[in-house]
Amino acid sequence: MSSLDALLAGFGNALQPATLMWGFVGCFVGTLVGVLPGIGPALTIALLLPLTYHVPATSMFVMFAGIYYGAAYGGSTTSILIKTPGEASSMMTALEGNKMARRGRAGQALATAAIGSFVAGTIGTLALTFFAPMVVEAALAFGPAEYFSLMVLSLVAVSAVLGNSMLRGLLALGLGLLLGLVGVDLQTGQARFTFGNAQLLDGIEVTVAAVGLFAVGEALYLAWQGRESKGSEVMKLSGSLWMSRQDWARSWKAWFRGAFYGFPIGAMPAGGAELPTLLSYYTEKKLSKHPEEFGHGAIEGVAGPEAANNAAAAGVLMPLLTLGIPTSATAAIMLSAFEGYGIQTGPQLFSAQGSLVWTLIASLYIGNVILLVLNLPLVGLWVKLLKIPPPWLYAGIIVISTAGVYGAGNSVFNVGLLFVFGLIGYAMRRFDFPVAPLIVGLILAPMAEQSMRQALTISMGDWSTFITRPLSASLLGISALLLVVPVLWRRWKSQRG
Amino acid sequence: MKPVHLALVLAIVCAVAGWQAAVIPESLMQMTVGPTLVPAVVVAGLSVLVLLYGLSALRGREVDESHAPDQSPLPGASTRLLSLLGGGLAFMLLVLPLGFVVPATLCGMGVARAFDAPLGLKSALICGAIASLFWYVFAQVLGVGLGPALPWLF
Repeated sequence: MSSLDALLAGFGNALQPATLMWGFVGCFVGTLVGVLPGIGPALTIALLLPLTYHVPATSMFVMFAGIYYGAAYGGSTTSILIKTPGEASSMMTALEGNKMARRGRAGQALATAAIGSFVAGTIGTLALTFFAPMVVEAALAFGPAEYFSLMVLSLVAVSAVLGNSMLRGLLALGLGLLLGLVGVDLQTGQARFTFGNAQLLDGIEVTVAAVGLFAVGEALYLAWQGRESKGSEVMKLSGSLWMSRQDWARSWKAWFRGAFYGFPIGAMPAGGAELPTLLSYYTEKKLSKHPEEFGHGAIEGVAGPEAANNAAAAGVLMPLLTLGIPTSATAAIMLSAFEGYGIQTGPQLFSAQGSLVWTLIASLYIGNVILLVLNLPLVGLWVKLLKIPPPWLYAGIIVISTAGVYGAGNSVFNVGLLFVFGLIGYAMRRFDFPVAPLIVGLILAPMAEQSMRQALTISMGDWSTFITRPLSASLLGISALLLVVPVLWRRWKSQRG
Repeated sequence: MKPVHLALVLAIVCAVAGWQAAVIPESLMQMTVGPTLVPAVVVAGLSVLVLLYGLSALRGREVDESHAPDQSPLPGASTRLLSLLGGGLAFMLLVLPLGFVVPATLCGMGVARAFDAPLGLKSALICGAIASLFWYVFAQVLGVGLGPALPWLF
């Protein structure tokens, strides 16, 4: 069955009323989550993981995809109206978009962000549709050695490239790997790092760690600062939401350029969305006929980065679905969701669960349309939500986090772990440690160990298998370069100037 | 707390992890990589990184947001932190005997207090409404097991 046939079949499933309803719920919740500061898509998906016991897999993943895309859309509203980006990838939108709002052009900023997100999200999803099967073909050549090396590359890339300090990134990774090893060793049944506590035999739940780090950690940090209750200025949404002909002329190329930055970089391990949004911003600034407007509310400065952000969201799904490798914290949580259903992501996913995958991809297209329709008319509602006083907003966030974690296993121990991870998240925020390496390390540690052991079993204990196999050697080589090159580059720069 | 103190805490974590790695029993099964190798490598690597972080912190090169001009905490930071954590502790201690709603209300009040909302009837009513709503959505609508809302009613 060709990709197009499979996609059409996917549309057939995605347009079923029940599935469409879950997609709508996901888009609504995702936008809500993106609008509200303090909650992100990773946390939201983690909180909804208990639903995997009650809702069919297809509907669940359609909803998660809606949340994922919706959060990217919703983050632009917060960025533009209160200059508070929900995630680092919305920083440039906050910079230019809020300036546009201050000049009475909030409507145009929101419109270009919404339409750009739709255009780029559609381009990204198209790229996913056509490139994913090619990646799957290539991935069939992957054995355990290659998978181990690919995971090493992902872990190194997430730690060494993201964040302000490679040392802190690698430390966060090390902690994540250590936490990922807690529990029973799958091959021998030996308990590791459990301190004799039966509650740790199954390891640390990703949900508990993610919710603790993101929700409780963020709340602790903001409470420690004490500035949230002083309130943020929410820009008034006055004037028209419609873009002028000049606005359209200045935006459309930025949308396409942003999409072409976002998807390939988002698809790479540790590519993320921050890099493409920055690249898009600086490109638009260089190419604009009005460079003097940048920093004061240039519409291209919103259009391009928002498009890059959304295309990167589609890009992140590529390695997750085709290789089973999460390259961001949100993707790591979605991987947990797949595991909750007993579904193995990777090349086999397209053959073993083809219907689910193509329904998911089809629902991304539909989700983009739903989000465009939702965002502009409901912007007044989102503005009202931004005015929820911080004490009640964060009380709600912590109570829902506690409910989600407690409900998953009726375990008070897990609630205790939630707050311990909250303290870890607070410390990471305060001392500038990136969180993504910890989450990705937590999830990939047991998988990487399994792949390594399988590779050594196949090679009869010969460690050189990781270097003698060309693909594995290449991946390990790139990992080594990612560790060494930034250090050498910084040394060279400091010697020069 | 400063980065140096954090480095000390991390060093203690490494020491405890090293102890736990050392007590993992070797498997009787014949295999190239047993259950102890990867933990040992991870702990060793982490220890090296913690040492480097500690040295960097001693040289004053590590970040502490409490010194950043627009990030430093307002007075009362410790009280706010303890208030939030106290809410969590209240939930953990009371959820089994009292059901979900009352402990979740107290948790919410602790969090709200951490964001400068005074403890009082208004806080109790709003947090009670939040807790009740989430119990209803999670337990009744979504079927997630949160236990009874109030032990003597449901």
